Amino acid sequence: MVLKVSDVRKTFEEGIQKVEVLKGVSMEVAQGEVVALEGPSGSGKTTLLSIMGCILTPTSGEISIGGERVALHDAAKLREVRRRSIGFVFQQFNLFPALTALENVEYALNVKGGRGPEARREATRALEAVGLADRLRFLPRDLSGGQKQRVAIARALAGRPQVILADEPTANLDTAVGVQILELFRDLAKRENKGLVIVTHDPKVRNVADRVVGIKDGRLAA
Amino acid sequence: MVSLARKNLLHDWLRFAITVAGVSFAVTLILVQVGLFMGLLGKSTVTIENASADIWVTSKETPNVDFAHTFPETTVLRVRGVPGVQRADNLILQFMNIMLPSGAEEGCLVYALDDFQAWNLPWNVEGADVRDLKRGRYLLMDQSAVRRFGAFAIGDYREIVGARFKIIGTTTGAQSFTTAPIVFMDFRNAQERLETLRNKAQYVLVKVEPGVDVNAVVAEIRRILPYNDVYTKADWARRSRSYWVVSTGLGMNMGVTVFLGILVGIVVVGQTLYTSAVEHVKEFGTVKAIGGSNWDIYKILGEQALIAAVVGFALGGVISLLMRPLMAKLYLNVLITPGFAATVFVGTVLMCLGAAMLSFRRVASIDPALVFRA
Repeated sequence: MVLKVSDVRKTFEEGIQKVEVLKGVSMEVAQGEVVALEGPSGSGKTTLLSIMGCILTPTSGEISIGGERVALHDAAKLREVRRRSIGFVFQQFNLFPALTALENVEYALNVKGGRGPEARREATRALEAVGLADRLRFLPRDLSGGQKQRVAIARALAGRPQVILADEPTANLDTAVGVQILELFRDLAKRENKGLVIVTHDPKVRNVADRVVGIKDGRLAA
Repeated sequence: MVSLARKNLLHDWLRFAITVAGVSFAVTLILVQVGLFMGLLGKSTVTIENASADIWVTSKETPNVDFAHTFPETTVLRVRGVPGVQRADNLILQFMNIMLPSGAEEGCLVYALDDFQAWNLPWNVEGADVRDLKRGRYLLMDQSAVRRFGAFAIGDYREIVGARFKIIGTTTGAQSFTTAPIVFMDFRNAQERLETLRNKAQYVLVKVEPGVDVNAVVAEIRRILPYNDVYTKADWARRSRSYWVVSTGLGMNMGVTVFLGILVGIVVVGQTLYTSAVEHVKEFGTVKAIGGSNWDIYKILGEQALIAAVVGFALGGVISLLMRPLMAKLYLNVLITPGFAATVFVGTVLMCLGAAMLSFRRVASIDPALVFRA
């Protein structure tokens, strides 16, 4: 298993009130597997995604990535796991507006430790893989929504992470473009043998997922 | 390496321009104001620096070179007897009245020696040999006197305390902090001008023999002349400068100017970088989400501050240099030495980095989880 979540609980404190958002969630994702995580608003799916992405620390439970247990209370180690093993795709793309498509991917590689011409070559390859070879020098403002999301996917894949976590990747795209992006995403994940988790409301995601996991009130649905 | 810092600066060029304008304003303010001050201070010791005296003997508690008091001219004989003294001569440095062709009366600062050549005074002489000053009622007048006394030429006459003197040459660069123009005349001619100067001198200039310890000679002269003060050249220049810096409040004034310059720089740079940091919160959150640390973001802000410092300093430096000829037309010297410029540059960098640090707390509190918020 490339990603394993075991009995994860998360409680937020809001004043004197405690809200348990995740109530003992366990799930696994295999290499090359595409998992759709579905659930209504407030069900805890984004919290679970944040915990799987080592951005948020669970109140209890364990996470293993690539067979290695993650030290959940060591901020530096969590950062290192994010740097080395996880790629993110966000609903709002979250590209750097001042950087070209190529620079967006290359910068992410720089943050992950990639340097020099090798980082630039890898960024170029990643953008070519998502069909943007002719848009390398374009700023995000000059790209369509679909093209922006392709850049974001290229950025997530660059650095060869084991797991890709996507938060509503088609929410800001029209139907046709959304289908294209999902198919591209699935193909790349399969080809590069990544574990891919897509948090979504979009029923189209079901068509590309190997498995659909529902979440409701902080628990995985059967 | 992709520089997000540089790219963001260029992407938001208007904000960058405002930042650079703030830095360059601060730099210009400091360079010009302090440069003017240093130029003025330079005037206060220019004759000390150019004279070849190793030691200056003054009357007791003389505050600076321009405000001299008298002592017996025979004092020099005792100085000449001190072991290690190669040469010692009397100097008169006295404010005297000068009549102008218009009928107006003005003040000038008279430097009078027996042998100017021996003391490298004055320097930059045109139209005459300094040895000719001994031949009669002759004087050399500094070119800077034009501003106060009006135009003059070699061969003109001027009346100083009731006696006509012929201008036989001019000098350049001999100026006083008091702004009174400097004229040079023979020692005896100066003594004859004022009753108070009869058989008196105001300084003894001392040159020590090669290889002799100047401080040892100073100590010995102090011992034999307890009612005079004795300074090395450097100490005397320092005392003269510090009089104007401390006693007149000019030093405090400069301190306030430098403080205001730094304050303006910190406020402008700090405010623009902080606003920029707030506006880029989502980007910085993304950097953290993909594995970047607070330090990675501090480096972005630090690089932006450094670029603002370098560009702002360069622009401020150019503006200051362009102002120098304009100031020179007003007979004001903006003295910007390489050491001073380097100090201001280092100060500018520290100021900008300090201003950037105001944003560090804001950046450190960014939660990478915000990347999942729509």
